[in-house]
Amino acid sequence: MAALRRDSKVIDDVVAKRHMVHLKTKEECRLGNETIQVWTVELPSKHAEGILRVIKDNIPGQDDIDLQHLRRFAKPKYLPGHVIGKRDLVKEMYAVPRAWESTPQSVMQAPATTSWEYSNPNRSRGNARPSTLHLLICPTKVVDLPRLHQVLSEHTPFCSSADSWAYPLEIKEITVPRLAPTSQTQAEEWSDDFWPTFYRKTNPFGAHPSSIRKAENELQEPENENIGVEAALALAERAGDDTVRRGVGAGPGCVIVERVEGRTEIIAVAGDARYKPQANAAANDQSDACCKGNMMGHAVMRAIGMVGRKRLRCASQIVTKAAAKAEGNFTKGGLEHDTNARDAFFSDLPITPLEKEYFERDNLKPDGYLCLRLEIYLTHEPCIMCSMALVHSRVGRVIFKQRMPKTGGLTSEMVRNDSGPVGLGYGLCWRKELNWQFMCWEYMTNEDEGTVSRQDLRKVSTEKYQQEEDEADSEDANVTSSSFARMHV
Amino acid sequence: MVFGPIPNRDYHERFMRKAIEMAEFALASDETPVGCVFVHEGEVIGRGINGTNASLNGTRHAEFVALAEIIAHHPQSIIRETDLYVTVEPCIMCASALRQYGIRAVYFGCLNDRFGGCGGVMNIHADPGVDRSYPVYGGLFREEAIMLLRRFYVQENEKAPDPKPKKNRELKTEILPVTVTPVPVSQNATPIDTPPVGTPAAVATPVLGAQEVKIKK
Repeated sequence: MAALRRDSKVIDDVVAKRHMVHLKTKEECRLGNETIQVWTVELPSKHAEGILRVIKDNIPGQDDIDLQHLRRFAKPKYLPGHVIGKRDLVKEMYAVPRAWESTPQSVMQAPATTSWEYSNPNRSRGNARPSTLHLLICPTKVVDLPRLHQVLSEHTPFCSSADSWAYPLEIKEITVPRLAPTSQTQAEEWSDDFWPTFYRKTNPFGAHPSSIRKAENELQEPENENIGVEAALALAERAGDDTVRRGVGAGPGCVIVERVEGRTEIIAVAGDARYKPQANAAANDQSDACCKGNMMGHAVMRAIGMVGRKRLRCASQIVTKAAAKAEGNFTKGGLEHDTNARDAFFSDLPITPLEKEYFERDNLKPDGYLCLRLEIYLTHEPCIMCSMALVHSRVGRVIFKQRMPKTGGLTSEMVRNDSGPVGLGYGLCWRKELNWQFMCWEYMTNEDEGTVSRQDLRKVSTEKYQQEEDEADSEDANVTSSSFARMHV
Repeated sequence: MVFGPIPNRDYHERFMRKAIEMAEFALASDETPVGCVFVHEGEVIGRGINGTNASLNGTRHAEFVALAEIIAHHPQSIIRETDLYVTVEPCIMCASALRQYGIRAVYFGCLNDRFGGCGGVMNIHADPGVDRSYPVYGGLFREEAIMLLRRFYVQENEKAPDPKPKKNRELKTEILPVTVTPVPVSQNATPIDTPPVGTPAAVATPVLGAQEVKIKK
């Protein structure tokens, strides 16, 4: 059925040109809706440094939460209206120039507002007020208001001094973005809505934008003899179809490519083989429990296993020896050592001529580490097990064609999504908690992305996947044929 | 009580002892000292240690090695009536595999705070999903499981692309007690802007220890 479904899509695929869309990381999905409450205060700029020092000295933990993406001091003219607030209109009244009073300058201090600067751009009058700044003090959870009030009121300009009449100590609680923006546009929007925000031209929540662009160029416009994303995915589909035709596969396919000094080599090609019989006849029961087949037959697990086997074959003597010793220890420990049974279980040897063709090439750079920085091309988003297997194997780039919202482990969206249905939200390709991250793309048709407005997304994705949802609802459905959406890939 | 009560603890410790023996054997063979046994009706039907060095395959974890032994003799459906005893909490990959194979229950020694899938980092065993969830019980011979890992990690990994010199490492022997803190619910279980999806009621989740295997950098 999986293969059939794909066949029915062939016409679409020919027409619909596809392109790579980098997956959002889990943290990027959190962005935009995560905020934090902070204290702010307005003060004359000449006291700015002094008060900042007071805060640093007196409020422990004020730097513990990283807010480096926000300006510490902001001029009133750059602040959104709600941050300046109502009280400042009162302050503005203090600011009316009262030349007739010929007050000493030191006393005539009041906030400089936009309107004031506009009406008096040259500051020609003798009593022009010095400018004021708004200081982002710290997150509200770091210090409570009474304590903060006490600290500030003991220092200039808030203590009883010549300045304090114009600066009644007024601490405000405002909302600011918790995490750094990932684009200039986002930084500008946040500056307008919350507080002046920096974009530092890096992405702290995923791969660096320039690495992503470089990869997309290499894969979408391959040079010389190199294999590109289109051809690699076509090969993966062929591998998947081959095993289906042999009655051992569920449809998905996987291709692993190594890129050395700008040249690509296809290291492993594997189709899904979850229904391949085991060595022992007793293991091949046809009960319901085994409709899902053997998980080790998932295309990703097989392909990773093939890379390991090829590594053993292409390894220098030292590595081979070490592996042989490890294998020997195994036997010494009295662990089961039925090679046939083991190979049948892991099914990491080629089954089809296509798999064999690539498996037999000794084209892997010798003595490499696991699947370090290799490129993985997949017909479908892998399940949680396979996604984590990619993390353990230290892969570099992963590209898949079809999302698997009910079983996939790579996508991060749980609530809304620009390009397809929302999934389980594991986002295993880029989790800071884990010890390895890799870049990951969905290879989608141009229509699927960017042509629908955000509000319509849910509707579009629901319609697109309605068929699978319906099938999945029927618990008794034959797993192999009708509920592909619930299948682990 | 540290990881929650385990009924009939003596019975389970008997099998965890066998898993520890496997881990000891792994350490002697220069493999990551994680050992496991699968138990069906009181009988060990599969044993495993990591096989990553022998296979140059980073996914060849102890659980998978043991499953290979089971499938060499039994139908796959036997796993649905089988319990796993493993010295270290299964990783995210294994946790998902075990759920797909339909494991009945998982007993483990210490948490895996780097990539554990049964409470250490994520809750793959209990999160909403298409497969039946399974209960996990942690804390059986926890200190021994931790010490095995520490003894291994003071060694250097020459196979890593950028081996870290560990000359100055020393084997620490004190193990902090597990503090009773609520399980941090994974990002996956509760997205910030949707209501949490109901967790299957039958699943016991371990209470996490604040301190697990921390290697001094």
